[in-house]
Amino acid sequence: MTRNTRILMQCIYWAFVLYLLVPLALMMLMGFKDSKFIGFPIRSWTLDWYLGVFGDAAVMQAFGYSMFIAVASTAIALFMGVWIAVALTGRSFWGRAIVLGLTLLPAVIPGVISAISFRIAARVIGMEPGMWAIIWSHAIHNVPFVVLVVMARLTTLPKSYGEAAQDLGADPIITFFRVTLPYLSPAMVGGGVFCMLLSFDDFVRSFFLGGYEPTLPVLIFAKLRSGMSPEINAISTIVLVLTALLGLWAERSMRGMSKRAAND
Amino acid sequence: MTKLLMNRRRFLHGTALGAAALASPAYLRHGMAQTGGEVNIWTYNNFVPEDFKAQFEAETGIKVNIRLVDDQGKQFNLLAAEQPNPTVDILTVAGHRYLQFIDSDLLAPMDTGRLSNWGNINPVFSESDWGTINGEKWGAPILSGAEVLAYNTEVVSEEEALTWDTLFSDKYSQQNAYILQDMMSVMMLAKGYDGNMVEYLGNEAEAARIMTEMRDFFIAQKPKVRKYYDGGAEVQQMFVNQDIVLAHAWNGPIATLITDGFPVAMTIPKEGSYGFVYTLNIAKGAPNADNAYLFLNALLSSPEIGANLSRSSGFISTFKDADKHLSEIERKATSFPEEQLAGLQFFRAEANEMKYGLMDPAVEQIKAA
Amino acid sequence: MTMTTDTGRAGTRDRPGFWGRLSTFGPYTALTDVLLSSPRRQFWVLLTIPILWVFVTHLGPILQMLNVSLLTNYPPSPNKVASYTLENYSKFFADSIFITPFIRTLVFSTVLTLTTLIIMYPVAYFLARHVPRNKQMLFLMLLLIPFWVGEVVRIFAMMILLGNNGALNLALQWLGLTERPIPFMYTGFSLSAGIIYLTALYMLMPLYSALEKIPTSYGEAAADLGAGPWTRFRRITLPLSLEGIASGCTLVFLISTGMYATPVLLGGPSTTLFSEVIAGFFHVAGDQWPVGAAFSCIMLLTALALSGGFNKLMGHLAGRVKK
Repeated sequence: MTRNTRILMQCIYWAFVLYLLVPLALMMLMGFKDSKFIGFPIRSWTLDWYLGVFGDAAVMQAFGYSMFIAVASTAIALFMGVWIAVALTGRSFWGRAIVLGLTLLPAVIPGVISAISFRIAARVIGMEPGMWAIIWSHAIHNVPFVVLVVMARLTTLPKSYGEAAQDLGADPIITFFRVTLPYLSPAMVGGGVFCMLLSFDDFVRSFFLGGYEPTLPVLIFAKLRSGMSPEINAISTIVLVLTALLGLWAERSMRGMSKRAAND
Repeated sequence: MTKLLMNRRRFLHGTALGAAALASPAYLRHGMAQTGGEVNIWTYNNFVPEDFKAQFEAETGIKVNIRLVDDQGKQFNLLAAEQPNPTVDILTVAGHRYLQFIDSDLLAPMDTGRLSNWGNINPVFSESDWGTINGEKWGAPILSGAEVLAYNTEVVSEEEALTWDTLFSDKYSQQNAYILQDMMSVMMLAKGYDGNMVEYLGNEAEAARIMTEMRDFFIAQKPKVRKYYDGGAEVQQMFVNQDIVLAHAWNGPIATLITDGFPVAMTIPKEGSYGFVYTLNIAKGAPNADNAYLFLNALLSSPEIGANLSRSSGFISTFKDADKHLSEIERKATSFPEEQLAGLQFFRAEANEMKYGLMDPAVEQIKAA
Repeated sequence: MTMTTDTGRAGTRDRPGFWGRLSTFGPYTALTDVLLSSPRRQFWVLLTIPILWVFVTHLGPILQMLNVSLLTNYPPSPNKVASYTLENYSKFFADSIFITPFIRTLVFSTVLTLTTLIIMYPVAYFLARHVPRNKQMLFLMLLLIPFWVGEVVRIFAMMILLGNNGALNLALQWLGLTERPIPFMYTGFSLSAGIIYLTALYMLMPLYSALEKIPTSYGEAAADLGAGPWTRFRRITLPLSLEGIASGCTLVFLISTGMYATPVLLGGPSTTLFSEVIAGFFHVAGDQWPVGAAFSCIMLLTALALSGGFNKLMGHLAGRVKK
């Protein structure tokens, strides 16, 4: 690569970052507006919207609720997604294409339809609407994304890795845990982040499968009825900061754990 | 029997009172199971005030569960998917959906005899003809809205806003927005037809001819429209962003803009317009119907609650004397001059099957044009 | 699960770690003897659960949708008895009004997918090849931040950026570049800006992971052989990242055919997409669910067929490159 193309690409990257972050900056700014609506000009400023969020138990509860749902559904989706990807990669058998096709379907069914179908299915199997129903539907919806990402990585796993392990006497299960899974971990982190994002932002499934406790998107949609207020912007900003902190903490503690394990 | 047991178990499970109840003597527990329990409500954000809810819970021992909805279509789909054992007792239905809920057998008729405060509702709404279907009443009106012409007062003059024609004038081309379906009904009225299409029941050819005329009118207007929108938040944002200076809208979202000090006003133009009502309804097969009646009666008891509903939604309260509890600007934002109100008719739903059977394809054609 | 692997990987080699102990643990070896004794058994052990999961949880909703799409009315109502019919499907073909948004959606999704690819390729390339490895995670995170904000909130932020009185127009006017505000909102521009915001992530991830694993030595070797930068890109980087391009494009294409909120809120009067049409059948009237479900099936099948064909083509290309 020549220096010029490199600089060009750097510019594109930062321009893209700008494009992503400017709307967010506006959102944060609007949280300080002393009005019931967002937009320019801002005639007077207030801290009330931001302070109000911390005082609003419903918002904090919804945040925790959504977070738990995101983590739980991601765990299930990762477990099933990795299993399916491993089972389907590098094997040819009758019906593989059908299984693969079915695996990917939930990702592309329109939200309303899958939500209503889940609602009816939940009733058929006697599942109460509520947290577990939401987790169940999010997990199913997210499995295809894990499978796609993991399969892409799996196809690049050199065959020699597994063969070497088996030569050393490891059975397929141990080979999987000691060779395949570590090799997949970047894809799993990527797929996991995907799932968390999808679950955290999902409205339609949460609405149809939820009970009387709102997830964060359900609460925000309900608040939106009376207008896009600075309050919603303040909530979103605070949620953004909290998730960023949680992410940093999770990353730190993961690193700490693997370090401790290494010293073990 | 099973129902009572289940309710009680859920109640005990769901509240902090559960532990206390288990610890209390048996006769007390028995008493609580009778007067306590719960009531499940689907409604919009802020429709049931927090302090009212707390007071009701304290006085009756009935736990109030609120599920926030944001859209009539989703609410309908959810309730339909829950049949035949809904989890909801009271739901909030907008006027244009009223008949659809009744037709689909999702609501229970309302026994107004069980509501001693029924008389607190302005009879214009509680005794109006649209409210009685199949000889029964089905809901308690709480708020009323209208299809209005909203305009930015710094750009559009009061005189210009007195006719729907301004919305389609070249002067404000690309600075206007409307909800397509609603505007089609209003334009039928403005052109001297029956926008409810009740008159054309049994004469589908005439109805189809009118709908074609409407379709062609809106296709001709299409180059001038900035946006066909759906939600109140959208039209508010378009006004604030100055993407538009005039729009067809529901009065509620515009009223909240007015009370926030934005230079916007609204009229019911001289050609007339349609109004609709939000009602609280009891679901068919409601698990806690008795508690639902108790709750509704309590809600209807005070004009303050009516004022509160009006304040948070921007719509007009159906409670008698509610306006006494509103501030000057709130009162102004939720009222219209007498001569304008005279031009307001209620949406009627008897001919909806024919009307929307014709309108839905027409809307698709306009959008595809 | 990741944690276990970390421990596993970090387990010291000189003394038996968890896995070493496990492989000599009696009950475990007895179990593996039964389960893994033949390739056939291994196959079934591995596949039973995925197949069960896929058939029970993935197929269920689809069958439900197919079933609904064939009914005369749904949800069930006591006044009308439902029976099976193909009318909901023929409705699509009988009337040309549905074809326009349908074709528009396919064309729009294709253009959008390519645009996203063109924008995201340099971003992913820069990230994977030019950012030092220990900083890549940080740079990647920077791109992921916005996605923790709900879709609708982001869309409204886009509105106050692009509106007539929005930040962009205010900036342009302040700089003296324009006198009257430029109407960005409710055009193809605002629509694309909003959708790319959403789809960028789905393109970035596969591209990044494909580009990241191409060894730098390949390019260096080619350079030693006198290949110019363009040739190196065309002959080495591009072919090796085909897989990432294929999965990124598939994801973005499938997602953009089904997107609803963004087109409705940011699009203009002439940009109606098929998902809006479908949503209309669910929102407007009660017994139009069957038509909505039938139309969804049509869209779904078309989108799957197209992306299947696209992937075949890419597989073919990738195969040729390898030779």
